[in-house]
Amino acid sequence: MSQIREPILKVRNLKTSFRTDRGVVTAVDDVSFDVFPGETLGIVGESGCGKTVTAKTIMRLLPEHLTIVGEESRIEFEGVNLAHASPGQMRTVRGDKIAMIFQEPMTSLNPVFKVGWQLDEALKYHTKLGKRERRDKAVEMLRLVEIPNPEQRVKEYPHQLSGGMRQRVMIAIALCCEPDILIADEPTTALDVTIQAQILDLMNGLKEKLNTSIMLITHDLGVVAQVCDRVQVMYAGRVIESAPVRELFHNPIHPYTKALLSSIPKAGGVTRGDKLPAIPGIVPSLWELPDGCRFQDRCDYKQQRCVDVEPDLAESKDGRLYRCHFPMDERVRVTVGATDGGA
Amino acid sequence: MKLGQAWNSRGMRKLRRNKLAMVALAIIGAYLAVALGVMFGLVTLEDTRERALPNQTPGLFGSQSNDKRVLDATWLNDRLASGLSIASSSSQADDERRFRQLNDSVGMAERVVPIGQSFSEATAKIEAALASFELLDEALLDYEDIEDEHFAIEEEIAELEADVAAARAAEPSNADEIAELEEEIVGLREELAEVSPLLEESTAARDAALLETEAAQLEALPMPSGFGGAVYAVRTSLGGDEGGRSIAMKAIYSIKIAFQVGFVTAIVCVLLGTALGAAAAFYGGWVDYGVMFIVSVFSSIPSLVLLVVIRYIFSDSPLFDNAAERPGLALVPVYAAFCLTFWIGTCRVVRGEVMKLKELEYVQAAQAIGFGRMYILFKHVVPNTAHLMFINFSLLFIGAIKSEVILSFLNLGVKGQPSWGLMISNGKNDVTKFFFWDVLSATGFMFVLVLAFNILSDALQDAFDPKHVG
Repeated sequence: MSQIREPILKVRNLKTSFRTDRGVVTAVDDVSFDVFPGETLGIVGESGCGKTVTAKTIMRLLPEHLTIVGEESRIEFEGVNLAHASPGQMRTVRGDKIAMIFQEPMTSLNPVFKVGWQLDEALKYHTKLGKRERRDKAVEMLRLVEIPNPEQRVKEYPHQLSGGMRQRVMIAIALCCEPDILIADEPTTALDVTIQAQILDLMNGLKEKLNTSIMLITHDLGVVAQVCDRVQVMYAGRVIESAPVRELFHNPIHPYTKALLSSIPKAGGVTRGDKLPAIPGIVPSLWELPDGCRFQDRCDYKQQRCVDVEPDLAESKDGRLYRCHFPMDERVRVTVGATDGGA
Repeated sequence: MKLGQAWNSRGMRKLRRNKLAMVALAIIGAYLAVALGVMFGLVTLEDTRERALPNQTPGLFGSQSNDKRVLDATWLNDRLASGLSIASSSSQADDERRFRQLNDSVGMAERVVPIGQSFSEATAKIEAALASFELLDEALLDYEDIEDEHFAIEEEIAELEADVAAARAAEPSNADEIAELEEEIVGLREELAEVSPLLEESTAARDAALLETEAAQLEALPMPSGFGGAVYAVRTSLGGDEGGRSIAMKAIYSIKIAFQVGFVTAIVCVLLGTALGAAAAFYGGWVDYGVMFIVSVFSSIPSLVLLVVIRYIFSDSPLFDNAAERPGLALVPVYAAFCLTFWIGTCRVVRGEVMKLKELEYVQAAQAIGFGRMYILFKHVVPNTAHLMFINFSLLFIGAIKSEVILSFLNLGVKGQPSWGLMISNGKNDVTKFFFWDVLSATGFMFVLVLAFNILSDALQDAFDPKHVG
């Protein structure tokens, strides 16, 4: 159903590189995806796989002089290519159309200003409301994110609030201008589990209420299962699988996705002495990427072809995307021989 | 309401409990009040320049030797005599005018010949004082003759005693010679015994004459009473320097100079250093290279040398060096020297802090809301360096005052106006004559201010340091 609608954000061939002392390194390579109105897109992957860089490239929050965004990269939003938009154009998009919340609620609010002041500032910048209206709106937003006693809270400093409260305030600030897209960069990672659930419920509720699309970046598959409509799995700067959440969990195509899913601890499923299945090895360094498939060294199903050729992003019969020569659902399993020359 | 909240905040309550800090605050407040008072004319530049006392008069509780008192009486006598002769020879027989001429000639601030009497009355009193001084002069001559004689005999005895000792030590010793010498010493001792009572007598006569003269002079030129007396008491409380100028007035006027230099330097340097340091860290790239290049260049030169050079550059300008006519502008070279060199420390500290702050997520969050870079820098980042600005302000304030004193001591700082540094510089030669009032008052005033400021800034840090609040 979602395919019929026009996507609100189209990302095509996104390539982000950084200039470093050791030369140019590409953190996000050829990433393409769509965000549809009112949906929640999850972006999942291990640390350092390019999730946050993707989000920050969309917002253009990376240090300009150290970042190279590829020539053919396109981030289409309302007819503008954000990948190469001017700072002036970006400023009208940020906050107003696309908002972002961050991982660390402890440092996301400016410690020297009151909560109300920080909400008021965003409203002042993006709306034409009067002073009194802005104050009312600020209280209303805090009430919307279920902060008790909001009239009192606007007069408090960030250090007087708990981590969960602060993340709620961040969400309130991000949503106060009613953006079309909310990019949430690991919004619950720094919170404890009960607060995580509350924040996720809150985001889900607000999405329905305000009809905002959410791009949720996380490494927590539990969070994905709870709130996302579609999921995109990233590995070493590339999208390796993209599917609706239910199908991804039930029937992963890429061996990496499968391995990720099997490394989630299951309640009651493990007996004493069993080891939690883990993916052996580490993510390849972006400096020394292999020629073929980037997951080859850690893959249980490696073939000679995986070493020689990097797979393209393919589309399955039911419209799912994957980047693998031997997708899991075709049940192609040829174990790698000991003599097989794979490095 | 807001102020009330701030007053009752946790940090303020902690600060108010700290008794030492409150004392320091009171002292700084008193200094500030005096500085403002001086600014509004409580003490004028003229007050610090005119003579209030005889040369090198000690202040309160300081005792003077009789020799110094004789010198003072002589000096006052000369003043009165010349004043009287000028006033009497005046062709116009206008009393008011004569009194003015007389007092101008005496020239001792509030201590004047009272004009509530007829001129002839005043003349009579002054003449009595002059006559009394003549007696003192005679007694003095007498005393000096006898003292000379007494001294000469003592000297001779000492010489002979040395000869005796030498003769005894010689090998072989000459017993005849020793006996001869000893006989001579006995003779001299008898002579001394005759002179000694005479000396005592003449000393007593001189002291009596001195007291009489002083009383007569006081009669002619009485100590002021009432409000003028109180002012004169303050003025003379710390004595007078080598030109009879009031040390108290100079020290008090220097408070204003010190505060002026401290405030201007601290404010300019904190603002400049914070703006440059924050911009360097926030924008990076060539802005950072540029600012850090200047900072490195400035900090590679010994700061005192740099201060002196900058001070010299400015002192060639007739606009800034005309201290007598434009005392305000005369300080500009000092401001320039301090402002151009002292911002470096603040700049470096703020740069480091902003380096840290700009990586924090609220800066990115502000960017994600859509604010411009400049707005984020000055509205979100710089307020977070407020604690550094306060600490640097208090450090620079004190640093500037101390440097001002050093430069003035080297005669490169304040000119044409009093300054603690100039007082120490002028007074340093008198220290060898056991006259400490100049140096001690300047050092004392500065010491109390610096100590109070250090105590207060320590207490402020204790009370408001976010690491201790919570």
